[in-house]
Amino acid sequence: MSGRLIVASSIAEARAAREAGAAYIAGGSWVMRAPVRGETVSGDHVALTRVGELSRIDISGDRLTIGAAVTHDAIAGTLAGMPEFGGLAAAAGKSANPAIRRVATLGGNLCTIGFAAADLVPALLALDAEVTFVATNGLQQMPVERFLAQRHALLPDALVTAVHLRRAPRLSGHARLPMRKAGGDYPVAIVSVSLGSGNGERHVRLAVGSVEPTARRWTCLEAALDALSVLSPEAGAEAARAFLGDFAPRNGIEAPGWYRVEVLPVLVRRALALAMPGEESD
Amino acid sequence: MAIVFRLNGEAYRHEGDPMAPLVDVLRRGAGLTGTKAVCREGFCGACMVHVDGVPKLACLMPVGLAGGCAITTIEGLGGAMQRLGERFPDALRQAFIDEDVVQCGMCFPGMVMSLGAWLAEHPRAGRAEIKEAILGNACRCSGYERIVDAVMLCLRRMGG
Amino acid sequence: MSEAEAIRTTVVSLPRRDAADKLRGRTRYTTDRLRPGTLCAVLLRSPVPAGRIVRLDMRPALAMPGVRAVASAADAPGRYGIGIADHPLFAADTVRYTGEPIAALAADTPEQARAALTAVELEIEPLGALLTMQASMAEGARLLHEGWKDYEILAQGGSRWGNVAWEATVLRGDVDAAFARPDVRIVENTFRVGRQSHVPFEPRAAIATWEDGRVHIEASTQVPWTVREVTARVMGLAPSQVRVTVPAVGGAFGLKFDASIEPIAAVLARMTGRAVMIENTRQEEFATCLCRENADIRIRSAIAPDGSIAAREATVLMDCGAYGGEQVFLTTMTAHTLGGNYRLGAVRLTSRAVYTNTPPNGAFRACNGVYCTFALERHTDEICTRLGFDPIAFRRRNVIGDGSLGATGQVFKGDVLGPMLDRMETLSTTGRCSPAEASSALAGRLADGRLYGRARTIGTWFIFVGPSSATVHLNGDGSASLVTSGVEIGSGSTVQGLPQIVAGQLGIAPERVVVKQADTDAAGFDLGVGGGRTTVSLGAASLAACEEVRRKVLEAAGELLQTPVSKLALREGRVEIAGSEGASASLIDVIAHAQATRGPISGSGSFTRPGEAAMAGCARGHFIEALDLPVFAVHEAEIAVDPETGHVEVLAYRVVQDVGRALNPRAIRSQIQGGVVQGLGYAMQEEITLDDLGRIQQNGFETYRVPLAGDVVPVEIDLFEGAPSIGPLGTKGAGEVPILNVGATIACAVANAMGAQVSQLPLTPPRVLGLARGREAAPDLGYVSLGG
Repeated sequence: MSGRLIVASSIAEARAAREAGAAYIAGGSWVMRAPVRGETVSGDHVALTRVGELSRIDISGDRLTIGAAVTHDAIAGTLAGMPEFGGLAAAAGKSANPAIRRVATLGGNLCTIGFAAADLVPALLALDAEVTFVATNGLQQMPVERFLAQRHALLPDALVTAVHLRRAPRLSGHARLPMRKAGGDYPVAIVSVSLGSGNGERHVRLAVGSVEPTARRWTCLEAALDALSVLSPEAGAEAARAFLGDFAPRNGIEAPGWYRVEVLPVLVRRALALAMPGEESD
Repeated sequence: MAIVFRLNGEAYRHEGDPMAPLVDVLRRGAGLTGTKAVCREGFCGACMVHVDGVPKLACLMPVGLAGGCAITTIEGLGGAMQRLGERFPDALRQAFIDEDVVQCGMCFPGMVMSLGAWLAEHPRAGRAEIKEAILGNACRCSGYERIVDAVMLCLRRMGG
Repeated sequence: MSEAEAIRTTVVSLPRRDAADKLRGRTRYTTDRLRPGTLCAVLLRSPVPAGRIVRLDMRPALAMPGVRAVASAADAPGRYGIGIADHPLFAADTVRYTGEPIAALAADTPEQARAALTAVELEIEPLGALLTMQASMAEGARLLHEGWKDYEILAQGGSRWGNVAWEATVLRGDVDAAFARPDVRIVENTFRVGRQSHVPFEPRAAIATWEDGRVHIEASTQVPWTVREVTARVMGLAPSQVRVTVPAVGGAFGLKFDASIEPIAAVLARMTGRAVMIENTRQEEFATCLCRENADIRIRSAIAPDGSIAAREATVLMDCGAYGGEQVFLTTMTAHTLGGNYRLGAVRLTSRAVYTNTPPNGAFRACNGVYCTFALERHTDEICTRLGFDPIAFRRRNVIGDGSLGATGQVFKGDVLGPMLDRMETLSTTGRCSPAEASSALAGRLADGRLYGRARTIGTWFIFVGPSSATVHLNGDGSASLVTSGVEIGSGSTVQGLPQIVAGQLGIAPERVVVKQADTDAAGFDLGVGGGRTTVSLGAASLAACEEVRRKVLEAAGELLQTPVSKLALREGRVEIAGSEGASASLIDVIAHAQATRGPISGSGSFTRPGEAAMAGCARGHFIEALDLPVFAVHEAEIAVDPETGHVEVLAYRVVQDVGRALNPRAIRSQIQGGVVQGLGYAMQEEITLDDLGRIQQNGFETYRVPLAGDVVPVEIDLFEGAPSIGPLGTKGAGEVPILNVGATIACAVANAMGAQVSQLPLTPPRVLGLARGREAAPDLGYVSLGG
């Protein structure tokens, strides 16, 4: 007895189906892999990829808004040539493999709690992104950091609609470490950084993904980097070595926890180099 | 509720589970076994089909999302469906034959489906770019370099 | 026909005839042959690694919608195996590994079958699982096979006791005296390797039907005759009541060199009278893969002042998993690999296949040769490092040559490895990609800060020579039909090498040789495809069959042309008279004449191992005491190690391979590229770990990392011809051996780059970084002892 697949064409229709018990499916790369996780695909589902409002990308002078159903491929293509968002473009352009990038969505990356190696999440953290979602009490917006902390409680009800990024004079870089030279596997550690300035001061945002079950900002390193008189990729890596104990890294089949932490200084150096044009990169 | 789409140019109607992976509908429902189900995780590329001309993984696509689309499988690529932009698949196949690259053969439908579309947009690709383009097309037999040799040959022939 | 003439007409880089259909998705592998009305079978598998089945009630499953039959041990009571028959088709009262089949059911649809599985009532009383060889070998360890003494012995000679399924030993010369010499220096090393999974793109699958009182199994297998034999055994049938046919196989690499799920389809077909298909899901394939085994090795050598190897001894413990399987046979190959490559004054080797409550292991392209070569070559480098020898010079000095004694006392023929080392020197110097200033060094630093390493290794393997047969029919249209049990698993031997041989003998184009797909009703016995068997054994049988055909054709032609047979030759579809320009008859006319006067022309041929001699008393418990057809390989790798992340990149890879005669040079090069890449996976990324239920943790393409396009380099290849070979036209099989030295070569190169002791594979980034940081603990192999 198979379930239904409702192909929603509006947010309201998607929410109504959800309320009637259907599970969301976006790109499909998580849901359709249920059998590999030892689960079954059962019950009703409601698809989000044909909801026009969720697939839009809006660029204005001071903001960039990406709909939750926009694919990695589309994100990478749109952000190419916007150096400010180089980190997010790289995250979207290098994840998994080309065919998965054509279907995997921003929303899926943000809302799949069990997916620790999600590439986009640390890039969004480093760019101070805000998330909008529709819930029972209407449309809400909050910083992605808070969304991640609360998503366990929010998600049964909430439908993420978009991510908003403020435009500012800054640069960003993204460094991910898969086990194969070719890539194609999920990274065991990710560092995403943005370098901004305001009031003559440096503002570093640096996020780490795949090391812990959920990506997060490395605030003690951010403070240390802000305080450096001269910031260079090497100085950043050196500073990172002092704060490795900040993490409770996860052990996984692909890599043990100690390894994920051990490689962070290298990734900090690489991410900084990508965010600082003219610097020697790895 | 039935799901209707175009399959290799003809109308196809699926009456069963809308969450059935497209690869299973193609293989068992339509009897088109050229699309292979190997990893069912999106990592091997053997199930690649074209959805409205774009290479997509049939193992990760619920058939319910194929409604209204035009699906092309390896059986329907090139040949009788020749249009200007579709010369690449046949040229690619010929290059694979001329370089004698095929071994067990299971990965090749996916290779042709992935590259056939990509080559038209990257006529001056080099070896490194080709390898990146087939990042999601695994092959257990060949060790890849002969595949890349054949793709380079195909590009030379198509580009002049 | 002279050999030179035969070579001239046979050697060609013939393209494969099955490429076009494979590229169009038209080829129908077993997994593509599901017809409407075929039942789908699924297996009920043990959820625990060890226990007694207290209750098994299939009736609730039988009552579920669409279910047509259920089967369990009572329906297939026989046991099978290699050397010893220890393996039941279904677990009867004892389960011995997580994933072991306990029962099967067939239903109209796969969904109904899987749903019905959940209705089965199964109760197992757990027993303490022995998940490692160390646990199995411990004093007082529980017996995994309590009734081992009563098992039917299929081959004599191996020692068995406790949880040791089979032991093979070698003793040549006075090893203890050599080690006791005051002038020798002794070096000892230990090594541990994990499993490797084949990951053929087509999983194991079979479709069985019951026709006219016989079962017909269509299967993705390398060994139709083994499937036939095992099916007959477990079902209590005469083997002639089982027919096995094999369509194109979507990859095998040794995984399909044994029966596993095929007889289960047969059991259900007999019960239902319907066609039944069984196909492993990818997760089942990973979970129950007949992997290259994990092993523990201790090896030590006594080196004389002149740099010769006065003595070598080693113990190899091979994990066979819950059942002996291929590892029982493979205890034989330690002697020829770990005990190979070099001249040894005296040698003592002990190889034990050990039971554990884990999925059974099996054969995978060059089997234990791969890790034995790793251990041997790393040990050789350790000897050189500790005792101050140059690793290339030391190998050159000690490598076996014409008249050298092997570990079991066989006398090797020809100087092969020596000249191959010379050829590698040439290949290497011309292709070297290391920085100019480090061109002669084996280690150094690259401009980007990575560590550079280079290593060259030697390997010995064998062609698995054994019984094969072939029949050739000459058809009225001048084509020929070749009937063998050869299976096309992807290497091309049945669509290139074999038709080339037949065509070369009969003077027709290879495209005019029809090669019948394997059918045990049509062809004679064959040991199976793999191990270079197709080109050598099937090729030799085909050659012999052609001799009979040639004799008959030339006899008929002699009549037709009124010419003595000795003056006739077959060329380009005609029978020509030597020295008589233009005087010839078409093959078609000769065949027509023959058919009218004697009947249709065909010939049969047979081949098996001549039986090379070992030294009496040296080897015990061996299935092969001496190699009838050794194959040698010299590999070199240049690598870069990132000391901050542990990533290893292959910069260059070179192979000199002993091919005897290259019948299809281009196809051989393709096999070498593919085999080396599979070896790179083994060396660097393909890790298998077991959890506390003895389950393989890597269950899919995400967690089990096979090499992708961006991981590889083009292998520089030199095909070495001319070594002595009993193969047809002097050929040796080339498909298996490319993987042999890769683990060794990468390991030695990394060890050189890092100045570290590499004693485990795979060299994943965490392992390499662990080595660099000094936190990679050497494996605890204290339980592995040397001596008899």
